[in-house]
Amino acid sequence: MDLNFTDEELAFRAHIRQWVSEHLPADISHKVHHALRLSREDMQRWARILGAKGWLGWNWPVEFGGPGWNAVQRHLFEEECALAGAPRVVPFGPVMVAPVIMAFGNREQQQRFLPGIASGEVWWSQGYSEPGSGSDLASLKTRAERRGSVYVVNGQKTWTTLGQYGEWIFCLVRTSNEGKPQTGISFLLIDMKSPGITVRPIITLEGEHEVNEVWFDNVEVPAENLIGEENKGWTYAKHLLSHERTNIADVNRAKRELERLKRIAKAEGVWDDQRFRDQIALLEVDIVALEMMVLRVLSAEKSGKQSLDVAGLLKIRGSEIQQRYTELMMLAAGPASVPLVREAMEAGWQGDQALAALWPGAVPQAAPLAGTYFNYRKTSIYGGSNEVQRNIVAQTVLG
Amino acid sequence: MDFEFSDDQDSLRDAVARWVEKGFGFERRHALAKAGGASREVLNELAELGLMGLAVPEAHGGMGFGPVEAMVVMEELGRGLVHAPYAAAALVSPTALSAAPQDVQATWLPRMASGEALVVLAHQERAARYRLNHVTTRATANGTGHVLTGAKSVVPAGDEADAFIVPARLSGADHDTAGIGLFLVERGGTGVSVRGYPTQDGGRAAELTLAAAPATLICADGFDALALAADVGIAAACAEGTGLMERLLAITVDYMNTRKQFGVAIASFQALRHRVADVKMQLELGRSMSYFASMKLGEPAAARRRAISQAKVQLGRSMRQVGQDCIQLHGGIGVTDEYIASHYFKRLTMLEMTWGDTLHHLGEVSSRMQDSAGVFA
Repeated sequence: MDLNFTDEELAFRAHIRQWVSEHLPADISHKVHHALRLSREDMQRWARILGAKGWLGWNWPVEFGGPGWNAVQRHLFEEECALAGAPRVVPFGPVMVAPVIMAFGNREQQQRFLPGIASGEVWWSQGYSEPGSGSDLASLKTRAERRGSVYVVNGQKTWTTLGQYGEWIFCLVRTSNEGKPQTGISFLLIDMKSPGITVRPIITLEGEHEVNEVWFDNVEVPAENLIGEENKGWTYAKHLLSHERTNIADVNRAKRELERLKRIAKAEGVWDDQRFRDQIALLEVDIVALEMMVLRVLSAEKSGKQSLDVAGLLKIRGSEIQQRYTELMMLAAGPASVPLVREAMEAGWQGDQALAALWPGAVPQAAPLAGTYFNYRKTSIYGGSNEVQRNIVAQTVLG
Repeated sequence: MDFEFSDDQDSLRDAVARWVEKGFGFERRHALAKAGGASREVLNELAELGLMGLAVPEAHGGMGFGPVEAMVVMEELGRGLVHAPYAAAALVSPTALSAAPQDVQATWLPRMASGEALVVLAHQERAARYRLNHVTTRATANGTGHVLTGAKSVVPAGDEADAFIVPARLSGADHDTAGIGLFLVERGGTGVSVRGYPTQDGGRAAELTLAAAPATLICADGFDALALAADVGIAAACAEGTGLMERLLAITVDYMNTRKQFGVAIASFQALRHRVADVKMQLELGRSMSYFASMKLGEPAAARRRAISQAKVQLGRSMRQVGQDCIQLHGGIGVTDEYIASHYFKRLTMLEMTWGDTLHHLGEVSSRMQDSAGVFA
């Protein structure tokens, strides 16, 4: 038992750190460090830089052009990117659909889709949730009917994150009503430029456009876009979930945001308020404990001796911590977080004179805090709500 | 970065677990507690297994093992609800004595390792709360040695111990970290009086009064050694708490799958299942921070103290929630003396108040925060 990374792991980390510091554009990391709005172009630019290096698919095996890193190396890469202020890689392509295509797609599909994902050229979206199917995902109703060489898709997906930018979307669709709901679902890749697709924005409570509805009206999808076998889609989707590992906890970003919280608390004068500071200290303990849990999972994976089945715990704890730091940042700014200033989310905005007079100096960093707090209520709802996660955890404990 | 146990560590764990299974059932524990909580006979059995010498250097007749082995043993003692001041006698005291001159070490450590001598740290004073630097007991030079005057409180197994390691002030004000000496005081010496009593968790402790009691100097500038000994004690408490929580959850799960209400096992009710998920969360966070505490014991003092306080905050919260929730999940049977769960709960509760409770250590974390935080910060 040894807490420290090996010399090889430390050398790997140094190599990544060096590369990220040389290649991460300063204007992008500035936005990330200050929680400012990232454009599609910002996200795409970083994805392409990673793609050119072969690291956008950092969790990919060598045979598909990935670096073939082990669990610890992947963690170190994610940590270095997060701490340096790199945007989170939009996961739908490289992290979510690519492993399914690798595991269950045919050779042709792999050759057709994986290069565009690896390079960051093609923007993928996820089509899982529906208005009537949230936590009960298997009840989904979007239909795909086979007619000759195409599937005809009708229905509606929702909560499609950044779907306004999407070029392709991977969908769970119903191809059969026989048997259990899970057994009639197929996994379909759909070109979002296909006639009959409409993307409509959903404005979330903080006023931002992050998620969308995607409507399908007699959309024709070539049958060769079906992954694996018809009616086996649920199995493939579950495979995907089982491959979402420790990054679900997002502890690296939490460490970065804890540093930011401390800077805000100092700037707003509550760092020296013992009652407030103790709340930060509690969060610090929470984050160290979460990081230890993540490291335990990585160690178990590396050793291959035993797997540690704590994915549900990591999701619950990770999301609670994300919500807590956004909450404490808002509370640290206090009244300065009250004014609603949309322009403040843009880089370069320094506060107009009227607002600067109200809250001298504090406005630019305080303005996005309440919005982020509101937005982050999503984290305990998406990806299987925390209550669903508790059901899963209880199942492993109680049977 | 590797959290796997070696084969030797697994064997050590098995040895302790086998002894618990054969020799330390709930009935024996219950009887010992009812009889006042004396623990010397249990310590003697642990000595027969060689465990009292776990942390004593091989040169002094011990095994010279490190923090991970100590953690493994403490987890198993916790799991078995073994009430004996093992950590105090076998882990904390040898750590404090490592600051002593060689002749003092040679006099005491071999006898501690064999189980012949029971030596415990008597550091708490009534008004100190959990502050290690609050020391009002006075040490005065007397010829070639020293005499101590003062009082120490809640000394584990105080009326069974053969000797005490006592922090006493050689100079300075009541809260100075400088000027605190560590001394060894024999229970049978002149001016030493002890008043023992049972504790809430079935163990035993004592109030120790020193009136010009003769003492052997361990270390004149002793605060660092005291702090290290305390941190070893905290890491041990974290590991014991982990074992306690793990077993208490297992007991609770068994009960929930057996107990029927409304015609079904109570394990089927979602409100209870979610509480179990929360308990599992606290157990795993606690275990993670117990590992963290033990693996940070070798760090320089500042980093070590911060890490240990972070761990004690997590374990304090975990132990309280797991204890309370597991009692609640049992219903009425959980609040009876005859049922084992309540004894786990009481031990978990007392452990939170050992070496500083959650608020105390939160204050420590709060005052030691840096710009960056994390496992490797």
